[in-house]
Amino acid sequence: MNFGFLQTRTARKFLRNKLALGASFIIAIYFVFAALVMCGLITLPQTEERIGPKHIPGFYGHARPEVRLEQVASYFEKVEIALDSTSPEATLAEIKFGELRVANKSLEELRQIVDDGWVFYDELTEQENLDVSPNVIPMIEKFEQKKAELFAPMTDFQATKQMIYLSLGTDRQGRSIALRAIYSIKVAFQIGAVTSLISVLMGSFLGAAAAFFGGWVDHVVIWLYSTFSSVPNLVLLVVLAYTFSGTMFDGTLVPVYVSFCMTFWIGPCRVIRGETLKIKELEYVHAARAMGFNRVYILLRHIIPNTAHLMLVNFSLLFIGAIKSEVILSFLGLGVKKGPSWGIMISQAKSEVITGYFWQIGTATIFMVGLVLAFNILTDALQDILDPKHV
Amino acid sequence: MSNQESANSETAKPEAADSDNRAPVLSVRRLSTCFRTDRGEVTAVDDVSFELSAGETLGIVGESGCGKSVTSKSIMRLLPKRNSFLKPQSEIMFDGQDLAKLSDREMRAIRGNRIAMIFQEPMTSLNPVFTVGWQLDEALKYHTKLNRTERWDRVIEMLDTVELPNPHRRALEYPHQLSGGMRQRVMIAMALCCDPEVLIADEPTTALDVTIQSQILRLMDNLKKKLNTAIILITHDLGVIAQSADRVLVMYAGRVVEMGSVHDIFHNPKHPYTEALLKSIPKAGPKNHGQKLPTIDGIVPSLYDLPIGCRFYDRCDHRQDLCMGTEPKLEQHVNDRTVRCHYPVGGEDS
Repeated sequence: MNFGFLQTRTARKFLRNKLALGASFIIAIYFVFAALVMCGLITLPQTEERIGPKHIPGFYGHARPEVRLEQVASYFEKVEIALDSTSPEATLAEIKFGELRVANKSLEELRQIVDDGWVFYDELTEQENLDVSPNVIPMIEKFEQKKAELFAPMTDFQATKQMIYLSLGTDRQGRSIALRAIYSIKVAFQIGAVTSLISVLMGSFLGAAAAFFGGWVDHVVIWLYSTFSSVPNLVLLVVLAYTFSGTMFDGTLVPVYVSFCMTFWIGPCRVIRGETLKIKELEYVHAARAMGFNRVYILLRHIIPNTAHLMLVNFSLLFIGAIKSEVILSFLGLGVKKGPSWGIMISQAKSEVITGYFWQIGTATIFMVGLVLAFNILTDALQDILDPKHV
Repeated sequence: MSNQESANSETAKPEAADSDNRAPVLSVRRLSTCFRTDRGEVTAVDDVSFELSAGETLGIVGESGCGKSVTSKSIMRLLPKRNSFLKPQSEIMFDGQDLAKLSDREMRAIRGNRIAMIFQEPMTSLNPVFTVGWQLDEALKYHTKLNRTERWDRVIEMLDTVELPNPHRRALEYPHQLSGGMRQRVMIAMALCCDPEVLIADEPTTALDVTIQSQILRLMDNLKKKLNTAIILITHDLGVIAQSADRVLVMYAGRVVEMGSVHDIFHNPKHPYTEALLKSIPKAGPKNHGQKLPTIDGIVPSLYDLPIGCRFYDRCDHRQDLCMGTEPKLEQHVNDRTVRCHYPVGGEDS
């Protein structure tokens, strides 16, 4: 393989910049996850399937016996309900907690284990000062062993998978937060990339054309962007999102793309228009005209490349902006309709937070902040690196 | 060299045989350029006529705002159409065509290809985001049918012609990696890469320091001789004119006030303005030590409010009553000189 490109000035400057390296490493990790989701290697369980009943994250749960007890009890509850149902075998077979399956035992055996479990549970709940009593922990461990008897033993691979599923706990419906947060990376990348790319290109070309050609082109573009920017951004997003509901695009990301692109192009348009007004009076543009080039060619080959740095900055700003706006829109229930997204997660977490279940909102926020921060740092570093005048 | 040059020399030959003097490549007749402004119409260039032969350098001098640059941009048709226009009597004859009446498309084929232009600021005349070689190549791509390797050979050849050291390496560098003088050399290479018949240099050395300035002027002189290009050299620096021009055209407030050979203008100025300009060049030497530098009092009249008579009346040392009421006409003198003055100064023509 040819590694010659590592010897170029830009590459060396990039490799020397530790912040840029770190940020791009983080983005690469995000991107790998997004790619895995897109390739179908990470799939989301069906919406009704629960990874575990209302799990709290591993790092947090062991500190509080009371919570741990409730968590184990909920497995028993689920199995007992299945045993009491009209067709116990079928219902038991349907139980899936991520990788956990009910053990291949007879109904009587299972019933016995459940009853034994409830004995432990009753003993434990009768204890006063559950959190401080010294003999509580061994009893909880026995209770958990009983739970393990209820289910088929897992292979190491399955156990690791289950551990990852539960690493950040579950939401109230028992869905794995870790899995949902990772799946949401794909949604974030999709929305960020599509909307920022389209709106930066659209805004830049409109802005550059407006400034360069002047006259009626300028009037039309200015009229357009002042009209769009006079409407509050979020209201416009809401209106557009509503407009799409009920159409064939309902439930897809298309309404989000359209509503973001329609509002986001204003920023780059204004910036690039200003820059073009400056550039078009520079001597090299006059020189290009004196070379006999036509105006469209000058616009595309001489002016737009000189605004590339602004396009890059605007791209990253809009990428981040799109991710954040998606969160807001989804929080309001107008954004992503199918599947999880960080916005949906935060929106669902609002009732959980009051009762102390902070990990869903926390996870979504940390995932989002990580990506946004890494992107900001990378853009900032790239600006220095790509600037040929900067040594 | 490209086919174009040979084609041009073929067309030029019969004309050259007809006349004992060199036939003009460019002849500007009664060029008047007007601008529409909020305060009304102004005529920035008023009735300017001159002829330019191959291998000749015509210097246009004058102070700021006298219409030097507008003249050059009018010839190139680079002025914005929205607020400027040429008066209908203006004629810019080039190769049998009137540039003033060509369409934009026809004009684009001439610009850069047959009439090229060098700008004042070498620092900003090159596009900062492309390599020097790319920019030269672009001009060739646009105007010639050469293929990629031929074009690149031509780029290197041109950079070598303008005496840029190490052209193979320099062609891959960005403008900011070159010094001001080098950039101006690149600009000259760019202007000359399509073998233009006319090169308009709009203050090509103003932004350079004196040593580089003389190098660039010498280079332009050599190239002119080598390629037989006609040059219009626009400047406000009389030193530059003295070094490289063959003929000089002195402009004042949009009008030609005097035209003649560089020798005549410098040694025997006939218009009081030219005389005053030459007097205000600082002179070195112990004789001039401690002496006040002569200046021209007053300011150029506003184009919105031009006097009825001579435009130089207010500032002239030789003014008389006639000058106030009637504007002098451009009069032909011996030695192919023209002067716009009722009372020309200076001695008899030598």
